[in-house]
Amino acid sequence: MLNVFKNLYNYRELLKTNVKKEIRGKYKNSFLGVIWSFLNPLLQIAVYAIVFQMILKNPQENYVVFLCCGLIPWTFFSTAISRSAFTMVENGNILKKVYFPREILPISVVTSEAVNFLISTVIIFAFVIFSGIGITKYILVYPLIFIAQYLLLLAISFIVSSVCVYVRDLQHFIGIFLQLLFYATPIVYSIDTLPPEAAWILNLNPMTYIIEGYRDIFYNQTMPDVQSILILIGIVLVAIVIGYLIFNKLQKGFAEEL
Amino acid sequence: MQENQEEYSIMIDDVYKTFNVYLDKANTIKEKLLFLFSRNRKEKREVLKGVSAKIKKGEVVALIGTNGSGKSTLLKLLTKIIYPNKGKIETNGKLTSLLELGAGFHPDFSGRENIYFNASIFGLTKKEIDDRLEDIIEFSELQNFIDNPVRTYSSGMYMRLAFSVAINVDADILLIDEILSVGDEHFQNKCFDKMLELKNQGKTMVFVTHSMESVRKLCNRTIWLCDGKIKMDGDTEKVVDEYIKAIS
Repeated sequence: MLNVFKNLYNYRELLKTNVKKEIRGKYKNSFLGVIWSFLNPLLQIAVYAIVFQMILKNPQENYVVFLCCGLIPWTFFSTAISRSAFTMVENGNILKKVYFPREILPISVVTSEAVNFLISTVIIFAFVIFSGIGITKYILVYPLIFIAQYLLLLAISFIVSSVCVYVRDLQHFIGIFLQLLFYATPIVYSIDTLPPEAAWILNLNPMTYIIEGYRDIFYNQTMPDVQSILILIGIVLVAIVIGYLIFNKLQKGFAEEL
Repeated sequence: MQENQEEYSIMIDDVYKTFNVYLDKANTIKEKLLFLFSRNRKEKREVLKGVSAKIKKGEVVALIGTNGSGKSTLLKLLTKIIYPNKGKIETNGKLTSLLELGAGFHPDFSGRENIYFNASIFGLTKKEIDDRLEDIIEFSELQNFIDNPVRTYSSGMYMRLAFSVAINVDADILLIDEILSVGDEHFQNKCFDKMLELKNQGKTMVFVTHSMESVRKLCNRTIWLCDGKIKMDGDTEKVVDEYIKAIS
């Protein structure tokens, strides 16, 4: 186990350049460049606000703020996973030629998306400040939830990226699955509006705890439920171990399968 | 026994490697299900059949053999790009392979930036690359072009840059696959001199080559692979002579 970290540490420069390449490559050849990091989530929020507030008449107070606390972390989640599905195949050429710790690739994807998310967090701050909700001391919990989400994504990314090498179908299936999961996470609606018989399903979804956490910090301005956080930490720790074990098992065949 | 192990850079213990050769590869679940019912379009090809060897620190070893004898597979196993089906491989020390030069080169970036990309794949840190940058550029003789995008390079320049990075990584073990065909004669001689220099520094090297002339000049020991097995292992002169007799 210690060896894994040592090996990654030795290759930190590769990790760094890779993350940089991913971030820079994302908006390469576009006129607006990094502005898209802001524009994209803003436009998305606009779309969902039009549909759910104006057309479907969601009664939630400050709906746009409510929405952005859920939508921005969700975008981090879904783009990181869908890009993980392709990272091994995209880098097949290098994987077949040189040795480097294969973990670098999924880690780079998740880390570059995390940087993007941190940039977009500015939007959440802007919304809570300008809507008059303001910022409270609970913001101190924000890093904790962020780290939990980062580790959860690493775990999923380990599994998705390595399984996709062997079963390419997964790449297509993931898009649909994420769409389903989007509605099975309280992003456009509040979990309180659901009947209790349905709410338990949402509690099986680790993203529910994460979104609720962000929402408590920014929108409800309360301390996130401690029990939920403990459950979340438990899920994340188990997931990262399982994810890494699967990855480590599958990575030995990458060069032959790609 | 324990201190004995430390003298070795590479220990190969009874290694078997089999490739699945897909005549018609099923990538999707649908295809996989369909193939369950049709005939098996897969062939097993045994490439290495029980290879064992120990290479001491500072030894310069040539791997020779005809095409398809498993030389390159053995090198790939040593770099950990692929893993053996059976047997064990252990290496001691930092290992660099010159199997595929220029892996990770990005055509749109300049030569200088690509040095950083490529060297980081070999596991160097920013500072280590900074320290070596001058040496790398000087060795490649590309001073005038180093800030041009790599896509404007000729194939010879491309290989020279790639080789210069790989050779300056400062590894303890170097794995080299048929590289003395890089660039023009002048550059080849330079590479050869660099190899000799590294040999004198006590680096462990494993060569795969078909050039018996360079084997004789560089290597003290030669391993002859034939059909996935070691046919002969020992003093270069003796093995090369036997090999030439056998193939001619």
